[in-house]
Amino acid sequence: MSESPLAVPFPERAGAALQDAFLQQALAIATTKFIELRKESFEGFPQGEALRDRARAIKEATLQRLDFYLGQLADSIERLGGRVHWATTGAEAREIVLRLCRDKGVRMAVKSKSMATEEIDLNEALEHAGVTPVETDLGEYIIQLAHERPSHIIAPAIHKTKGQVAELFSKELHGDFAADPEVLTAVARKALREKFLQADMGITGANFAVAETGTVALVTNEGNGRMVTSLPRLHVAVMGIEKVIPSMTDLMVFLAILARSATGQKLSSYTTLVRGPRQKGELEGPDEFHLILMDNGRARQIAGTLREALYCLRCGACLNVCPVYRQIGGHAYGYTYPGPIGILLTAMLKGTESVKDLAHASSLCGACKDVCPVRIDIPRMLIELREHLDRERIAPWPERMIFSMFKLILLSPALFHVSAFLGRALQIPFVTNGRVRRLPLFFAKWTRTRDLPPIAAKTFRERWKELD
Amino acid sequence: MAARAEFLDRIKREVAKTPGLFPATPAPRPANPAEAAEIVRRQIAERWPQALERFREEFERVAGVFHRVGSLAEVPNVVRGIAKEKGVSEIVCWDRAPLGLDLRPSLGAEGLTVTVAEAGQESDEARVRHRAEAARAGLGVTGCDFALAETGTLILLSGSGRPRSTSLLPDTHVAVFDRTRLLESLEQVGIMLEALHADPARSMSGAMITFITGPSRTADIELTLTRGVHGPKEVHAIFVERP
Repeated sequence: MSESPLAVPFPERAGAALQDAFLQQALAIATTKFIELRKESFEGFPQGEALRDRARAIKEATLQRLDFYLGQLADSIERLGGRVHWATTGAEAREIVLRLCRDKGVRMAVKSKSMATEEIDLNEALEHAGVTPVETDLGEYIIQLAHERPSHIIAPAIHKTKGQVAELFSKELHGDFAADPEVLTAVARKALREKFLQADMGITGANFAVAETGTVALVTNEGNGRMVTSLPRLHVAVMGIEKVIPSMTDLMVFLAILARSATGQKLSSYTTLVRGPRQKGELEGPDEFHLILMDNGRARQIAGTLREALYCLRCGACLNVCPVYRQIGGHAYGYTYPGPIGILLTAMLKGTESVKDLAHASSLCGACKDVCPVRIDIPRMLIELREHLDRERIAPWPERMIFSMFKLILLSPALFHVSAFLGRALQIPFVTNGRVRRLPLFFAKWTRTRDLPPIAAKTFRERWKELD
Repeated sequence: MAARAEFLDRIKREVAKTPGLFPATPAPRPANPAEAAEIVRRQIAERWPQALERFREEFERVAGVFHRVGSLAEVPNVVRGIAKEKGVSEIVCWDRAPLGLDLRPSLGAEGLTVTVAEAGQESDEARVRHRAEAARAGLGVTGCDFALAETGTLILLSGSGRPRSTSLLPDTHVAVFDRTRLLESLEQVGIMLEALHADPARSMSGAMITFITGPSRTADIELTLTRGVHGPKEVHAIFVERP
């Protein structure tokens, strides 16, 4: 895509987002609304909590026999006449899609929203190869026309105003369209309907894949997932290996909580279950079905510290409640997956080095863990990531030095006592009206946007002694 | 298949490195899906009025339009009314077997063009022709394999005489169902789908199962709810009292 967010360090990206008044407003409205919708939907659903436990157990059970379930999934799909491809890296997954395009003479591919294909920058690769990729989820379509990246897992264009969308559509689709969501949606419907009917290939991700039946499940609201799996002559699904689940019974457990967590709906408008290409007797459906099973850094976390992140359903609930995401939005994170879970997924896919700043973009308040439909312990893994960054000396040296000193002080009662005494004396020039408002040197960064409570006049131990 | 063996071996090695986070099993499944499905059917045969009421409530909550008629003979009237209201002149339908009736005799006589996707058609020409018909049509009429009360969802299986596009390309989708299609919960849907896959010869011929919960919708522009972005703008369900 056109901008390269990573050229600018994270604190500056976050800073820019904080200065963007429209973004601030859009984020506040969107995340608050999603939180309310989710809350209402679970309030009227007493079995929800038990289903979340069940869903978590299914994810864990699947990981414990992941090789078996992937093999079973592949067998099921091949029995139905589909083809299964194995991609260890993102580059391999891209190459498989490109080769299919070449072999089958594909000139245009319609896509339904897929984080897995975002993850591997498939659109750019297709364009390079002379294939026109068309994003068909309305939000993704807007983002594609604007040459930007999604800013939220399930609402990719929440950072755009209807005015901006109207301007964009007017320019790109040659018209003069009013800044009215209804009008703009109708414009997109018309433009994309033609693409659905013309495209040679439909590309999707997979919300789930049922091993026993070879069923790929796609959850959408717009109906584009149905279009791309029904109309083009080829269907290619790209999925991370962690998306496999054992049975149809398991699938129902996830369906019951996924939409509730994401948008507060009981079910999304459409849940599409596809097994293989068009079957005998069917009039419609693709001639060929290809499933690409992609590892891209996931497998090494099966026994790694980020194992639990492999449970993720990509519902986006943790983004909406995160005090950091709510302030800076998705783009500032700089990678495909934003928000608390995004930090972990980025570490998984791109290596821990890539999150040396992001690992700290969390207050560890635990709101993400509370809303996660599969109760992923995100704060625990963030702490472990920080530990790892420190141990491997990836964290910046001042940070490591300060925490080493802090550790030393905390481990020795004598040192602690002396430091408290020194601190009390040294802080005097900086305390105004009972708050530390400004600190010198690089400590100044800390007090630039917040105050510190001063060190108390007496330590607890000193006061304890006075009690006698 | 070297790629597969190598890939799965690597996963197997990683899996073997850890006992996992906690002891866990997948969801318990019906030992005999066909039997479990039969039990569900019998239960619902007794309490279908409540299930229907819940379905109507939930279906209307997601902006569905509910109709109730005494018998199949009254269905064409309802379809005619919807077509008139929408100013539609072309209608596509599922084959008479999965739909339960043929709309041509009654609606064709009134100047409406009714195209039926006859079972057994699967040639390329038929496919191209049908796609053009479905894309032109303003109304698509389908049957409904399961009507899920808990969420107001219509569940449709694709297959011979049941094209996918009938419920997708026209602006308005009308589904016809009776009490034998009602289910109460997603859990029961799970049982039915397990039974379906355990015995695919019986009813599962197509490659797609579609859950439809209201019309197509989006909130991608400033979170403003807008209907009919790609799929139908309106969904109607006609309940037929006498199966």
